[in-house]
Amino acid sequence: MSERVFSVILLPTSDCNVACDYCFEHKEPHRLSLVLVPLLTRRLLDHIENQHIEECEIYWQGGEVMIMGPAWFEDARKIMDRAAAERGRRFVHYLQTNLIGYTPAWNGVIRGMFNNSLGTSMDYPNIHRKLFNGGAAAYTELWSRKLREAKAAGIAVGVIAVLHKGSLEAGPERFYRYFTEELGLADFQVNTPFPGGPAKEVEDGFQLDNSELAEFMVGLFDIWMAEGYSSGVSVGPFNSLIDHFTGEQARLPCIWKENCSNQFISVDAKGTVAQCDCWVTSYPEYFFGNMFREPDLTGMLKTSRARRDFVERPKRLVEDEDCLSCRYLSICHGGCPVRTYSALGTMMAKDPYCEVYKAVFACAEAHAAEILRARAAPIISLRERHKAVDPCLV
Amino acid sequence: MSEEADPPISILPSALAETQGDRPFVAIVRSRQELCRWLSNPLPGLRWLQVEGMLGDAEAWTEAAHSNCNIPLDVVVSDPASEFSHLYRLVDACAVRAIRVTMPAAPGLAKAIRLAAALRLPVRVLPGQPSAAALQELHDALQFYLHEATVEAPVEFFHSVLATMCDSDAGSLWTILEEDPDVFRHYDADGRARMPRTSDPDRSEITSAGFVKDHLSRLITQGAECATCPWQQPCRGYFKWPDPAYSCEGVKQLFSSIQTAGNEIRQDVASFAEADKGISSEPREATR
Repeated sequence: MSERVFSVILLPTSDCNVACDYCFEHKEPHRLSLVLVPLLTRRLLDHIENQHIEECEIYWQGGEVMIMGPAWFEDARKIMDRAAAERGRRFVHYLQTNLIGYTPAWNGVIRGMFNNSLGTSMDYPNIHRKLFNGGAAAYTELWSRKLREAKAAGIAVGVIAVLHKGSLEAGPERFYRYFTEELGLADFQVNTPFPGGPAKEVEDGFQLDNSELAEFMVGLFDIWMAEGYSSGVSVGPFNSLIDHFTGEQARLPCIWKENCSNQFISVDAKGTVAQCDCWVTSYPEYFFGNMFREPDLTGMLKTSRARRDFVERPKRLVEDEDCLSCRYLSICHGGCPVRTYSALGTMMAKDPYCEVYKAVFACAEAHAAEILRARAAPIISLRERHKAVDPCLV
Repeated sequence: MSEEADPPISILPSALAETQGDRPFVAIVRSRQELCRWLSNPLPGLRWLQVEGMLGDAEAWTEAAHSNCNIPLDVVVSDPASEFSHLYRLVDACAVRAIRVTMPAAPGLAKAIRLAAALRLPVRVLPGQPSAAALQELHDALQFYLHEATVEAPVEFFHSVLATMCDSDAGSLWTILEEDPDVFRHYDADGRARMPRTSDPDRSEITSAGFVKDHLSRLITQGAECATCPWQQPCRGYFKWPDPAYSCEGVKQLFSSIQTAGNEIRQDVASFAEADKGISSEPREATR
């Protein structure tokens, strides 16, 4: 059996309980019926069986997943895990939620289905995440309270922050202190923004200057290394890059995979299959097919013309762009297709954040070299002492 | 890929390989059907598959990624300049089996090695008797291999020659590159043993054991530059085959670059070993 893992970003609903400015998703009240969960499960198990894969990771997100309610998840889990066990396979579930709908009623599901952990999102400063009634300040207040409650219940919480102009103006120091000191988090991740879906006015706020963004990212990296790295704070994707450059096993984010089309898909409540949540919610021209209408997911992925562009993209980039001469090709492979598509209208180009990534990679490489030097320091310092008495020892 | 002294590993076309049973062999496959045949039902003696002319066949690599057997693949990139980007097709299959890529020293070599390194694919470069243009590609590829910190997988023959120059016996280029007939016996479509890098099956050299030894002795007797060459041991006349008049001036520069890197490594290792000895002789804190 292969050690490979197949991942599915599963959107049981596109409906949402908040009104964020920059959301690229097409919100609609459609929800995945429990009646369809056995069929969805069978299609996924057929596919991983065809691929000789043992484990399938399910990343539950929306819309807003908590709209489905904890009882729905209890039932879905039972259906999926029982079917997987009968076929010698395994689902591993992850939860990504805005936390706004969190109550203690979720604790049992989060403990039993999601290994007592969840992912959520917050920006600093928060000016774009808003409640339907109450705006950004009310959102921040409510979200912070829910975060405290979840943490008090013993749930491990990781936070994704999307950078915007306000983040760059605040600077990396205030940004870092907000997440680590004000929120008391030991695990957060920074994402670069992209204008997914149809253009909106507010998206101007997400067109960041690459050199300013690179400066911010490098500044944040430096602060984390100085204050968080040794004390157990995890900041993605910096921690993965440090692992990579120090020779440890590293799980780099999907934007830097050799070919993301090999490793995951996204499925929405109606059974639509696309590359990831960004594609399934925004770009019908790149849908691979429908899981409820087509009996063979493996066949769909094999024959989809839309998917062929994803498969061919890295190959085209080393032919047409300057990626082949980049010393970071092995950890980037031209970057993220959706970031490229949303900015340029084609995915057959390298990621517009190329210069930002290079700055971050160089920063990671330099910090990793320091770490490796520090590990070797006892040997080096002793060698220096020996050289003082034995000049032949060079 | 492992190397066995006795019996030699037969490297032969797929159709001829069917009769090999549990004798060690490598099947050369040139179509998706042949590839699938060996992946679905390998004979016990099959060591690996040599895959030729199929890098552009996306469907074949999908099959190689889904098969349940873990037979290693040696994927031949015959024209690195036009085929290098197809290496991305191997990504999925790499997750389920060992894959090495083999390519000639030809235009596009340096590009193909860069991409193979980015995908962590081991590489075997078959230099043959390289032209001036091929030597430039080899030189560029060698500098990349020696000095680019992101290179993780071995690039042969650089890798094993470097090991030899760091006091590790990795054999000669003939064995490193799997061209020593005593160890790797190549057969053509008619089942006749043939010498590497020549299509002439009637060369008498193949019939006797000890080809490499005899070849080197002959070169020295004939006054070839091998007699005084400082890299005679790792080379053993490799670059004087099939044309014994080939000038080794260019390849000696490659050996020289590898030797320089090997010397640096040996010095580093020696100085660290010395320091380490010092550490272990430092007084230790008493156990409480």
